[in-house]
Amino acid sequence: MGIASVLDPVRRRHPGGRPHHKLDLEGTKDLKLLKGPWSKGFAVALAVAYFMIPGSLEEQTLRTLCYCGVYAIGAIGLNILTGFTGQVSLGHAAFFGAGAYCAAYLGSTQGWPFLTYVLAAVVVGLAIGGLVGPFAARLRGNYLAVVTIGLLFLAQHLFMNWETVTGGGNGVTVGEAAIAIGPLDFRDLELGGLKYTFPQAMFWLIWAFVALTALLAKNMVRSRPGRALQAIRDRDLSAEIIGVQPTRYKVAAFAIAGACAAVAGVFYALLQNYVNPSEFGGRIGLFLSITFVAMIIMGGVGTIYGSILGALLVEYGRRFIAERGGDAPIFGIPVEKGWVTTGELNGILFGGLIVFFLLLEPRGLAALWMRVKIWFMSWPFSY
Amino acid sequence: MKKQPWLRLLALLMALALAAAACGGSSDDDDDAGTDTTAADDGGDDGGEEPAGDPEPGPGFDGTTIRLGVLTPTSGSASIIGNPLTKGNQVYWDRVNAEGGVAGKYQVELDIRDTAYTEATAIQEYNASKNDVAMFNQILGTAIIKAVLSQMQQDQIAGAPATLDADWIREPNLVPIGGPYQMQVINGVDWHINENGGEGQKICSLAQDDPYGDAAQEGLDHAGEELGFEPGPRVDFAVATADFTTQINQLEGDACEAVVLVATPLDAAGALGKAAQVGYAPQWLVVSPGFLKLLFAGDLAPYAAENVAVLSEGGNWGDESIPGMGQMIADLETYGGDQVPDPYFAFGYNQSRAVHQILEKAVEMGDLSREGILAAIQEVESLTFDGLLGDYTYGPIEERDPPRTSTIFKFDAAAPTGLTSVAEVESDAAMSFEFDG
Repeated sequence: MGIASVLDPVRRRHPGGRPHHKLDLEGTKDLKLLKGPWSKGFAVALAVAYFMIPGSLEEQTLRTLCYCGVYAIGAIGLNILTGFTGQVSLGHAAFFGAGAYCAAYLGSTQGWPFLTYVLAAVVVGLAIGGLVGPFAARLRGNYLAVVTIGLLFLAQHLFMNWETVTGGGNGVTVGEAAIAIGPLDFRDLELGGLKYTFPQAMFWLIWAFVALTALLAKNMVRSRPGRALQAIRDRDLSAEIIGVQPTRYKVAAFAIAGACAAVAGVFYALLQNYVNPSEFGGRIGLFLSITFVAMIIMGGVGTIYGSILGALLVEYGRRFIAERGGDAPIFGIPVEKGWVTTGELNGILFGGLIVFFLLLEPRGLAALWMRVKIWFMSWPFSY
Repeated sequence: MKKQPWLRLLALLMALALAAAACGGSSDDDDDAGTDTTAADDGGDDGGEEPAGDPEPGPGFDGTTIRLGVLTPTSGSASIIGNPLTKGNQVYWDRVNAEGGVAGKYQVELDIRDTAYTEATAIQEYNASKNDVAMFNQILGTAIIKAVLSQMQQDQIAGAPATLDADWIREPNLVPIGGPYQMQVINGVDWHINENGGEGQKICSLAQDDPYGDAAQEGLDHAGEELGFEPGPRVDFAVATADFTTQINQLEGDACEAVVLVATPLDAAGALGKAAQVGYAPQWLVVSPGFLKLLFAGDLAPYAAENVAVLSEGGNWGDESIPGMGQMIADLETYGGDQVPDPYFAFGYNQSRAVHQILEKAVEMGDLSREGILAAIQEVESLTFDGLLGDYTYGPIEERDPPRTSTIFKFDAAAPTGLTSVAEVESDAAMSFEFDG
């Protein structure tokens, strides 16, 4: 047997034939968005679910899923920054708030069209992220985290005192902001003579943006810039040696995270119909930022779909406990009969889940799914 | 270009799914199913001249039970207000239910939701419960009411604020009770200047940096105009401030001799504790939501007894000369479980009493729909509280007039609620305050 046949397993096994479908010698399959019939089938199922869900779930559940979508957009941005680039940020709520005020001021007060103020929020998010980014070039770890916390307090001060734009401590309503794309008015959606409720319409709109954000993010992380970000995350010095400019990519990651959070903030404001400075800065803002971090930890750091899973787990779980937790028995006694209040139970479980994932599955739900997938891929030799 | 058969399949399935989802929408001819507010249209009988029959079922009313919402903090720092207040709500309705219910036949249930005293959570809880309740029996927090008010107007739903901001007086969707914060501060400052030896003193404020703080500050500014003094600086703080050193130093540095304290109990105790620690002892005029016996007792008690006046309303707990006191105490003993005497409990109890009067009027008008309840609010001539709170003139929204009398209390660790009244004040400055809303 010659050496050529050893290096060419395809020719050696089946002269003129095809390799096994799981064997990828060129690596091109890794770059495909949908890698096989199962992926394509799953995409079709998601698309069907996207259209079916608003017609089959009650209003409150739809609202909860809308909030999940909002947080998913923000979490995707944070995952690009933290999961793919390795930069810690506890200032995500400030970007989120900036987007919310774009909807409140530009959309509601100034009457800008929907896509225009969404675009403005993207620009504002990019700009603020771009301003914070250079700090990441000089700081890392805990020091960077503290700097981003500082951003929360600066944002709160700005939101509280720039009253002409933010309404100050009284907050501002967002009820006048237009939510229309062409002929589709999502405040009063009507298709083919049928009217849809606000949560139904917003579900379609928000989850369309989730899909768009996820697609853009996925395309980025599986291309050259994405590999550069991951190289910086793994070892920025090594990345620099092979020609990646860490400063440039870190600033870009902050800017992208800021833009994603700002878009999420726009939808948050539209759902809430009201925004107040205290939500995005200081103590409550820090809690919101930590919630975003928890979402990517529980969903899966360094995966796009993990951000969405994390948002669904945290936000849907929170709402589920708020709705059903009061009747849940702990040692046989309903929660509201004396153990803790439902709100306290929510806090306890939230904290417990973070600890659980960090200790037992630091790569989150995405890793659980990967294990299942690998088990089936290697079946029947799954040991 | 390579053909993608799965894309065709996807397009086909999407079309089918959209058609199926459309079943969840509503046609133009069937508005009732499409929106929440139109569903309420069924609830009432608009014929005002015919005798009113039994109210039709509608949101929050199934024909036998009226469901009322409660948006209150049951977790977090403000839960020490929210929990006793909600207990007061519940105890009142337990007694009414035992007597047959509203109009002697409709039982009342509360749907209690935790807002954690944050606007964001409150809005979500409001949306989660609004379709299941006839109105809100309690919404706690000035900032929280501001957050949900536009939604309430849009949904045509009524609610009783557990906050005393004067802004609510001209709001058709709200059922305020008690003298507003502005009244408390004006009367409190008037008492301090005219009866407590505070004439010529520099009066400042230490206020929460939100609409609650703004409301009390408005009272202080009005008192300054009417009583002829220039208020000192307003020092702000955020809810749940960990350390009040900066604020106390600022007040001391500005030589403030009296301070209006606008806070919730944990922050109030934190500020007073810091002041006691550094030996700063002005006359503190604490707006009613800042007091809680549990927090003022202990090490803080001597300082509080010496320097604190609490601005509130009503009389001493257990004062049998107040007509409604005996009933409230009896209800607390019967239905209150381990609830101790508490001013927030009393407020919650009276709040349910106010909502009860509104619901009785709505039943009398034969309409427990949301529109019916909003109409009943403007049909009730006044809300009365058997002396536990001042009577509140209702009727058309522009004629609403809150009680303008306040009670000044001193801290007394031996009293059941920790408060003993020292004066009842209805000042000229309070009478001159106009509620524009």
